[in-house]
This record gives sequence, structure tokens and C-alpha cells, in this order.
Amino acid sequence: MYILSFQVESLVLRSIGPFYGQKEMLKEKILIVDDSEMNRSILADMLADEFEITEAENGVEAVSILQNHSNEYSLVLLDIVMPEMGGFDVLAVMNRFGWIEDVPVIMVSAETASEQIERAYELGATDFIMRPFDASIVHRRVVNTILLYAKQKKLVSIVEEQIYEKEQNSSLMVDILSHIVEFRNGESGLHIQHVRTLTDLLLHKLCAVTDRYPLTEADISVISMASALHDIGKIGIDDKILNKPGRLTDEEFAVMKTHSAIGAQMLEDLPVHKNNPIVVRAYEICRWHHERYDGRGYPDGLKGDDIPISAQVVALADVYDALTSERVYKKAIPHDEAVDMILNGKCGSFNPVLLECLAQNALHVKNALSIDAQKTSKRQQIRSFADAVMQSKGGSASERTLRLLDYERMKHNFFAEMSEEIQFEYSAGTDILKLSPWGARKLGVPENIISPSENMALSALLGEGWWQRIGDLLNTTTPEKPECSREEQLLLGGEYRWYNIIIRAIWSDDNPPQITGAIGKAVDIHDARMRFNELKEKSIRDPLTGLLNRAGAREQIEPRIHGFPDHKYAFAIFDIDFFKLANDEHGHQFGDKVLSYIAQRLNHSIRQSDLCARIGGDEFLIFFEYDTDIHPIIARIFKALCGVIDGFEVHISMGVSEMQEEGESYEILFRRADQALYFSKRAGRAQYHLYDESMKDILTDREPDSDYEERYGESDPKDPKNPKNHETK
Amino acid sequence: MTLQECYTALSGNYDDVISRLKSERLVQKFVLKFLDDKSYELLLNSLSAGNGEEAFRAAHTMKGMCQNLSFTLLGNSSAALTEALRGLDTNVDPALVETVKADYLKTSEAISAFKASLGL
Repeated sequence: MYILSFQVESLVLRSIGPFYGQKEMLKEKILIVDDSEMNRSILADMLADEFEITEAENGVEAVSILQNHSNEYSLVLLDIVMPEMGGFDVLAVMNRFGWIEDVPVIMVSAETASEQIERAYELGATDFIMRPFDASIVHRRVVNTILLYAKQKKLVSIVEEQIYEKEQNSSLMVDILSHIVEFRNGESGLHIQHVRTLTDLLLHKLCAVTDRYPLTEADISVISMASALHDIGKIGIDDKILNKPGRLTDEEFAVMKTHSAIGAQMLEDLPVHKNNPIVVRAYEICRWHHERYDGRGYPDGLKGDDIPISAQVVALADVYDALTSERVYKKAIPHDEAVDMILNGKCGSFNPVLLECLAQNALHVKNALSIDAQKTSKRQQIRSFADAVMQSKGGSASERTLRLLDYERMKHNFFAEMSEEIQFEYSAGTDILKLSPWGARKLGVPENIISPSENMALSALLGEGWWQRIGDLLNTTTPEKPECSREEQLLLGGEYRWYNIIIRAIWSDDNPPQITGAIGKAVDIHDARMRFNELKEKSIRDPLTGLLNRAGAREQIEPRIHGFPDHKYAFAIFDIDFFKLANDEHGHQFGDKVLSYIAQRLNHSIRQSDLCARIGGDEFLIFFEYDTDIHPIIARIFKALCGVIDGFEVHISMGVSEMQEEGESYEILFRRADQALYFSKRAGRAQYHLYDESMKDILTDREPDSDYEERYGESDPKDPKNPKNHETK
Repeated sequence: MTLQECYTALSGNYDDVISRLKSERLVQKFVLKFLDDKSYELLLNSLSAGNGEEAFRAAHTMKGMCQNLSFTLLGNSSAALTEALRGLDTNVDPALVETVKADYLKTSEAISAFKASLGL
């Protein structure tokens, strides 16, 4: 895997020696997984002096701990038979996520059947300790295993660190340089990155299928980095040719072709560093990445393996990415089609072994180009870098980094706790729902729930079908807009409370992208929602009569008109004749009494399904549905609303409009009823009229939603300031 | 009552446990802890509820603990019951269950007596 130079070996000898058992070193961490507290306790007592022990009482807990901290543990002691999730399942998960590579597992079990032991080894367990165990044997085996893995880990880390450090220095400059070239070419910022990733991938595959090209890990790394410089010669090409949108003429193409030789020349002319491995590889790549395997390329017409393998691979990566990317002169070609074109020789002539690598790795190639893949590999690099520094002596910078990380984690936990929000994260891969400690306590469920869709406690909390509801909700998200939210009632302590569940879906960068999990929180909005409902109810009601106000009426009527456009609806608008007179003569209290009386009569004379509202000082609206003849209904209502109160004879004038065509709007029905009302008033009051075409030119000075209320506040519509009154008087 | 006498009373192997766990203090701590373990109750409840999976696990856990503590008598009978329950069917020979019950009684009585003699 890694080629160790003698220099590295001496480093190893210097640093491995004292790592174990020294006071100033961190204690190695061991995770003990067993459902019996006593068994855990016996093991913990045996090991607590030398190791830091974490206990988990079943597989679910163990997986959850490893999910976030697998790299912190030096060893897992694992029982086989456990509730929730057994030891074999834990091993399977550790395999699936590759944790088994870094964290050794010793099985501890009373199982004696050889097939069980066999299975444990097959699943990657390092050792198997049978109960009843002997303290000194457990201790010896634990220490041996940790030592063995620690050595290996340290070797890997040290080598990685060396390579990484060396690369770090050049990587930055290469990135800047290649970015400049790219910028000038007007290419997508990802081309260089893609070529580099593909080069790395193809070279690894190449080394796996053949030993024809003896490349070390370090060689591959250098070639991949140098690949970024493949088009550096384009700096020497005239802008007009380089960025010409149309087809190049033969002369222009001939100029363009010189970029490979120019690039090579630039590198050859470097006053220093000429023998630096990156420069050497970059020279090969620049000069020969347009050669063809059949010898018909440029600039030198090299054939077959006369072309350095570095240039062959970069040429293939370059062509693949050019095909699958969008350019000014062409659309992006889908991955599968691009691979087919290359394999069928439509895009040049390549080494058959390389084509095989591309074909075999086709899917991998596609995924590797996703941004996420690059990020992950970067993260891995950084982590191994951090690991190495942590384990080698004198890594003061990284200790600080780790402290900061710890600080961030502590901060996060603190705020999660203080926020009194139920926070959660779900990963589809492990099918585990993790709740914040506060959230789990609030809901009375464990912090880690495996297969949440089948969890009874969650069903009881959220109601049947919650998994489906949340699933549907998540499906409304997109990678561009991954957030969504939904209000759900939770049954907590026998009481339903409203929570707003806010979720961010985690989308993969696959093609097509998929949801791989979600994070989110549930916030108690019960009180706020109740207050809102109350306020809302208040805002659409008239406080004196308890009827809907004008805004409330409109809000409730419009959905009905739109929802059932084929139903027959009618509007009736009326006001009380000489109401101002009654107000003036008997006082406002009497006026209020009249209004309340009317409201009461109104409530009694309409059906449950009808609506009535006080839409102005003494103006009311009735909205109702009818089947055939509207006249008897109006007559009945009109009659019901007239009467005597405290010697004051109440009469009303009313205008009615019925729906003439399907789908007529609120505004039209309102205006017509208003026009019919004016007609009734002009005709001498105390009467009602149904709107007809003859009234269509009556001016009422008002639109159904005129803003006079806004302008005059709750002013009495009979107020002289109200322009409407000039006409009625 | 000494720890050794307690082991004799519950038909366990004192020498074995001391040779494995090395410390009398540790052994005493775990022996006393044995009374707090809920596996036995879980076993009986699962058997009467017909929950074979749970019963198997409980018997298995008990067997493991007995082996760790060298409780030979109860270890053997719970091992036999564990094997019988491996098919996850609670329909096992009642004699096996009765033996485990009798052995558990003997074991827990011995530990209780030991605990009392320590003034705990």
C-alpha cells in the first residue's frame, strides 16, 4: 500500500517507541458493548486503569457512537447476543461504512459454537474471547490488538503526513497557475479539478489491473497534481483564437495545436526546479497530452507506449471531461453516451488497457466528479493529516485545532440544550434517528432510534402515518431548496400540542441526486398558534354583534365561490332605514341595541351554511346558496328583519344579486347587490330589489373592497365625510 | 460468612474465579451486584409471556454472568436452558426451567446471607 523510504522508517522508530504507557499521552479509548451491565463492569474494571472506557448497552448505541467518533476509538469489545441490534449486525454496519478498517473489534461472548466464531472472523473481528474469561488474558489481548493497530495507523499517518506536507507546498501554486489558464480559456472552473480527479482514479485502476506501469502512490499523486498544468501552454495562444466561439480555420487550428509544445517549453525553460518530480511529469503531460495511441496525434506523432503513461491518462481524462461538460460551442453529453463514444473510438485513439479501466470504472468515474466526493476526499486527507499530527510529538498547531473542535462541539451541545428545541438527525444509510439529549428527554424516547419508521413510541407521539407524511414532505425538497417544514400535533403527556417541524433534507451529489438523510428540529408553537388563532378569530369578527366583519366575510366567501363555481350563490346587502335618525334621537347605546337586535334576527333567519356579516356601520351582508327560486328566500329574510324595538320601527332597504353565470367573482356579486340596494333606497326605502341589467349604471361610489375603512378607520359609513352619504341623503 | 463460604453455599468455584479475575475485592463487588441484575426476572416474564427471543437473550446473559463469576451450578442449568431456547420457542421442557429456578434461589440466598454477614 505505502512504500516506505528508509527516511520514513527512521521517523517511525523514533516516534512509535514511547507512545504507549506514557503519562503525558492520551489514554486510548475502548468501547465496550454488552447488554449486561455486570459484564460491562467486569471488563471496564479490568481495563479502566490504562484505558478510557465508553460503554454501550446494545448495538444501536454502539453504532451511534461509532458513527460520530469511530476514529477516536482504538478498540471495540463486542458481545454477540444483545437486544435491539446484535454483535454481528454491528460488525456488518462497521464493514459497510469501512470503520472496521480503523477500529479493531474483539468479540466477547459465551457463544462456543464454531460457526459463530467463524462468522465473527469473517465479518472482520480481530479476536474472539470466550467467557468465562481470564483477566490477564483479556488485558493481554486488548493491549496487543491496540498496539498492533496503533503501529499500523501511525505508519499510515506518518507517510500520509509526509506526502501531504510535500504536496501542500506545490499544490497551492499549481492551483493558482492552472486557475489562471482556465480563467483565460473561459472554461468552467471545474475542468482542471475534474481532470485531476479522473487522472487519479484512472491511475489507481490502472495499477490494479496491470503491472505494466510501475507507479507508486507518490507517483500517482504527483501525476494527478501535474495534470492540472496540462493546458498551461494556452497562455501563449492568441486570445482571439483561444476564445473564438465558432469553428477554427485550418490556420487557426494549427496555431492552437502549438499550445502543447509551448507549455512543455515553458517548463523546460524554468531557471530552477527543472528536476522537481512535478515539473518532470508536467512536462510529459503538457507536451504529449494530444498524442494519439495510433501515432496520429501531435506534436511529435508518438505511438503506443512511447507516449508517457502520464500523458496518456491525462489525454483520456481531458477528452472525457470535455465531452461531459458544457462549452460555448456545445452542450454537455451524458456520462454513458460519452463513455460509449470514447470506447467506440469516436474521440481519438487510446491505450486499450486505459479504455478498459474507464469501462470498468464507469460508474465510479461518474460519482467521483461530484463535488461531494471531492469534498469528502479532502476531508479524509485533512483528517488523516490531523491524526498524524496528533500522534506525532510536538504537534502544537493541531492540538490547538483539536481544542477548537472540542470547543465547537461543546458550544453546539450547550446551545442545543439551551434552545429547548427537539433537534434530530436521520441517516438513511444506518436507518438511525438521533435526537438531541434535551429532545429525547422531552419526548420520553431514547436518543438513538433504529428503524424509526417502525418505532411504536414515535407512532404514538406523532400519530399513524407520520413516516409517510414526513417522507412526502421531504420529497417536496430539491437539492437547491432542501428546507421544508410542517406543523404536526404531538401527543405529549396525554395532551396534543402543535409543533413546527423544520427539516433540511440531505441530498447526495449522485445523478440523479438522492435524499440520504435529514437534519432538523421541532419547535413547540402551540401557545403561539393558539394565540394566533384567537387573534385571527378576533380580527375577522365585529366585536359588537359577533358577526363576521367585512374582511372576514370576504375571506370566507371567496374560497366557496372558487371551490364550487357551479353552485348558485347570492349576495344580499342591506342597511337600516333612518338609522342615523335613531342614533341622533335615542343615543348611540340605542343604536348599538338596534344593531345587536338585527344581528340576532339575522342569525336566526339564515341557515347554518349561509354567512352573514356586518360590513359597515349599519350595513350587513348575507351570502347564501339556493337551488331554484330565490324570491321566497329573500322575502322570508326581509320579513324577519323588520320589527319594532323600543317604539322604533326597524325597516331595512336591501339589494340582492344572484349569480348569473358560472364562476362570477366576489367583486361582481358584491357590486351588483350594492347597486340593487341603491335602487331600493331611491325607490323609497323599506323594500328590496333583485339586481337586473337596468341597474348596471348606478354608481355606488364604492368597490367591494374599497379602502374607505382603511382611510377612515372604523368610521360610521353614515359619517358626512364618507362620500357615499352625499348620494343617499 | 466469607466469600469462599458463599461460593461453597451456591456451588460455585471460588478458586477458579480468583485465578481469573485476580482480585477478591472485584469478585466480591460483582457477586453482590449479581442480586441487582434483572435477567432472571426478564427470563421468567418472557417465558410466561411466550416471548422466545427475549427469553433466550435473558438466559444467555445469565449464563454469561454465571460463567464470568464461576457460579457453576446456576451456570450449568442456565446454559442448558439457553440451548433449549435457542430455537426461540418458549415451549421447552419445564424441568429445565424448574432447575434454573431452584438453582437461582440457592444462589441468591447464599449471596443474601453473605451480604447480611457483611452488615450490608
